[in-house]
Amino acid sequence: MTTPARGAYRAPRTGLHRPGRGILLTSGLAIVLAAVLLPFYWLVIASTHSTDEIFDSTPPLLPGGDLGKNLSSLQETASFGQVVLNSLLIAVIYTVCAGAVCTLAGYAFTKYRFKGRDALFGMLMLGLVIPTQVTLVPLFKMMAELHWLNTYQAVIMPNLALPFGIFLMRQSMAALPDELLDSGRMDGCGELRLFLRVVLPPMRPALAALGIFLFLYQWNDFIWPLIVLRDDASLTIPVALASLQGVDDTDYGAILTGTAVAAIPMIIVFLALQRHFVSGLLAGAVKE
Amino acid sequence: MSVVTSPTRTVRSAGVRDSRPPRLSARRLAPYAFVLPAVLLFAAFKLYPIGWSFVLSLHKTVAGVDTFVGADNYVRLLDDPLFWTALKNTAVILVVQVPIMLALATGLAVAFNSAFLRARSVFRLGFFMPMVTGLVAYGVVFSVLLNEKYGLVNWLLSLVGIGEVPWLTDPLWAKISLGLALTWHYTGYNAVILLARLQTIPKELYDAASVDGAGAWQSFRHVTLPGLRPAILLATVLSTIGTLQIFDEPYILTRGGPDNATLTIGVYLYQNAFTYFDFGYASAIAYVLAVLIGVLGLIQFRVLGDKS
Amino acid sequence: MDMSRRRVLGVGGVLAAGAGLGGLTACSGTGSTGAQGGDVGDATKGSITVWSWQGPAAELRALVPAFNKKYPDIKVTVQDIGNPAIWDKITTGMAAGGAGLADVLHIGVDYLPGYVDRFPGQLADLGKLGAHKYRDSFAKGLWETVSPKGEQVNALPWEANSAGFYYRADVFEEAGVDVGALDTWDDAIEAGKKIKKKTGKYLLGIDKPASQQDSANFFQLLLQLQGGFYFNTDGDITLDSAEAVRAMSLIKKMNDAGLVSDISGGWNALISSIKKGTAAVLPWPTWFGGIIEETVPDQAGKWGVRLPPSVRRGGATAATVNSTHLAVAGTSKHQAAAWNFVEFALTRPESQVEIYRGKGIAPALLKTYDDPVFHEPSKFFGGQKKGEIFFGALKAPSPAFNYTSDYARALKVVTDAQTKVLLKGADPAKVLHAAADQLASQTGRKVAR
Repeated sequence: MTTPARGAYRAPRTGLHRPGRGILLTSGLAIVLAAVLLPFYWLVIASTHSTDEIFDSTPPLLPGGDLGKNLSSLQETASFGQVVLNSLLIAVIYTVCAGAVCTLAGYAFTKYRFKGRDALFGMLMLGLVIPTQVTLVPLFKMMAELHWLNTYQAVIMPNLALPFGIFLMRQSMAALPDELLDSGRMDGCGELRLFLRVVLPPMRPALAALGIFLFLYQWNDFIWPLIVLRDDASLTIPVALASLQGVDDTDYGAILTGTAVAAIPMIIVFLALQRHFVSGLLAGAVKE
Repeated sequence: MSVVTSPTRTVRSAGVRDSRPPRLSARRLAPYAFVLPAVLLFAAFKLYPIGWSFVLSLHKTVAGVDTFVGADNYVRLLDDPLFWTALKNTAVILVVQVPIMLALATGLAVAFNSAFLRARSVFRLGFFMPMVTGLVAYGVVFSVLLNEKYGLVNWLLSLVGIGEVPWLTDPLWAKISLGLALTWHYTGYNAVILLARLQTIPKELYDAASVDGAGAWQSFRHVTLPGLRPAILLATVLSTIGTLQIFDEPYILTRGGPDNATLTIGVYLYQNAFTYFDFGYASAIAYVLAVLIGVLGLIQFRVLGDKS
Repeated sequence: MDMSRRRVLGVGGVLAAGAGLGGLTACSGTGSTGAQGGDVGDATKGSITVWSWQGPAAELRALVPAFNKKYPDIKVTVQDIGNPAIWDKITTGMAAGGAGLADVLHIGVDYLPGYVDRFPGQLADLGKLGAHKYRDSFAKGLWETVSPKGEQVNALPWEANSAGFYYRADVFEEAGVDVGALDTWDDAIEAGKKIKKKTGKYLLGIDKPASQQDSANFFQLLLQLQGGFYFNTDGDITLDSAEAVRAMSLIKKMNDAGLVSDISGGWNALISSIKKGTAAVLPWPTWFGGIIEETVPDQAGKWGVRLPPSVRRGGATAATVNSTHLAVAGTSKHQAAAWNFVEFALTRPESQVEIYRGKGIAPALLKTYDDPVFHEPSKFFGGQKKGEIFFGALKAPSPAFNYTSDYARALKVVTDAQTKVLLKGADPAKVLHAAADQLASQTGRKVAR
């Protein structure tokens, strides 16, 4: 058994390997990245300008001096500090709960054979193929009848069993060798312990990806929170930013600033979770 | 070559399982317990709305009264030129944009995982960044970038002597812009899915390939790609679903225009529900869409499937 | 066969409760029934919520202290939902049987008839609360919009925008064109050619690829100036009427002569083009004057405003091109109190003067125009009395335009037709004929030919 190697897999030294290769790859990708980040660069630049300057006949390319003004107008008209906290609370709770629900289900669907498995999986996948736009009204009506309007459970609960997440985990769990489970069982592990101790650790990259996607999903979700939340003080970031839109008096400076600021927690989550994208966690598990 | 074998194929080990009868009851119950939260939550919150929308697709609402009309809404779809336009546009995106995006995502994922790449976290984050842009800002940013007269992109192009490109005003260019915007938005997303999978490919397989004298391309072809297969299937199915339902980009970039050149099924469905208040017809569109997705998904599973 | 949605929902509620969401009282049915049975609540007590967007929301909020002097026991919460977000929110509530709607709703003319027709009873009948006495208080043609049959009153008019014709006086002068002498749009086209030659500026701008919902505004204006619309009073389609073809042909003529700049790309493109001074004329309604003043304050005195030329010589130059309204939700338990707020905001000239001063929202309430603020000369518009010009338009006789519940669909086919004309040089009569047929097959309406 080899020791699991942390970090990236180092490619075998072949004739193709030259010292300049890393620089070539890195600089090539950097050029592509620059183009990809252009819209984002402009978003950040725009957040330091007033709406008037943003829509000047030539759009600004360098930072301006209105970041503070945009931030304070966000705080004043949309209670932005409160709104960011709301979004964080909802997204963190959602990510943890939905992550657990989806991972458990994905694991069971891949690694167990049981009666009704395919029927249950098929039912869950219905949620993936039916566009949400036509299920909004009945779901909203249900929330009203449950007296859940304007509550966070109305935002969080209906999407906990996210078909996308279940599907993602089902596909990811397939990478797990059955021998690993068998040897765990032989060591006397119960099924839950097996899941927690044997299954989860090598699945860290997939769990990180799931966590990123779930957080992102909840963080950016717009139409559902827009419909079920009512108090100005309870809104999430996208809903609060949409409220800054009017017919002829939209505060674009504030909206773009809000978007740029809203990206920061997402960046932190991504950086924290992407550390788990490491190779070799399953090394030595397969005995060919 | 030995490495052609899929490294992740699950080995049927029924004999081992059956050899430990005392654990059997726990093992029988465990999967049900594990899927229970998902199934309960789904049944409680999604099953009824999904059924309701199907029932609605068989009804027509006139002056607030729902009348059962059988398959009328579906028949109407067949005769609706806008539906066919939307279907055609969506199919073009599916056939052209999705494969390009997935190829790029695979390349990115391999690069992200490569030891040759410096500052890997920076690159991973950078390509992920397009995902975090909210909808309203997305619209503003792209209209400022792609405006024919005042846009930044045309301004940059003019520096190298390229004339004004009608990014959003010409039907063909509008389709290209839509494809670029989609690729910009979702390539990083797919790369993350592929990256997570890439890291479960055992190092030993690369070592074996290298011992067999395989070069970088052959390693990629015979180790990386087979290992990525479940994730490629996942990304393909998800991209297919996402594309068939695509709404955000065409809605904010072009509102489906000019002259329906970028009208997608998702946009048409939204317009019927939330602009024309014709929820019955919108539901019929949704169910036709669902059947299309289901059929395509099954085909993709057959072609790319891991038979698990 | 009728589908009892509530019964189906009841099953869903039981399912939800039975599925382990214990402790929750499911399917009690609140929200889908309301005060429609005639209980309008206490007129002077209670707590009401108002949904609006940005500027108008701020103005309504500013009215609350004065309102509370009169009605100290009605607590008013004004929520800024944002526009277009508010339409998704109201539509979902309406489609869910009125569940969760606010008491007072701010609704544009493009949505009002659709809501009334598709979701009957979701808007309270203000007539029963005393609205009928205001029948003649508002700009011509608007009462028919809020009360199509003259019985049920679905809303009260708030903002009424008339077609305007904002122009760069300095550009016209440079080109040697007397702007006051433009009687018809054909005259305007000739003037536009001179302007293009002398100054290089376009006559006006249109969102040619229809990147925004309001891209057909100018077409609709030309149609309304002839007393025409997308539907006649019977609700039949009149998209390919002689008036409509004439309007589209004028646009084609302008475009073929190179007088139309493209302002696609949304609000920012429009603002940028004003700053760049791309066009000599902005054929935009009342509210746009304030936007021009804010956008190019350094051009004070260089701008002028008048009503648009007519389409036919001697024809109308006034048209109310859009309006917004306040309605009360049919499910509101405080309809009487909500009505009191609507009445306070929309029928008192003092309220409307304040709102006009604040955000320049043009009132539909005619009495408001007695206030001196509408009769002051405007420095920005070369000393012209902008308020009086538009007041004149609101007083002019106007046919009632029948928006119908299919206005949004009509707008879509018209916009597509216009794009075909502007980008592909299509024949106006042909594309409008096809558009009318398409609309007929989508809506089941007849085409009036």
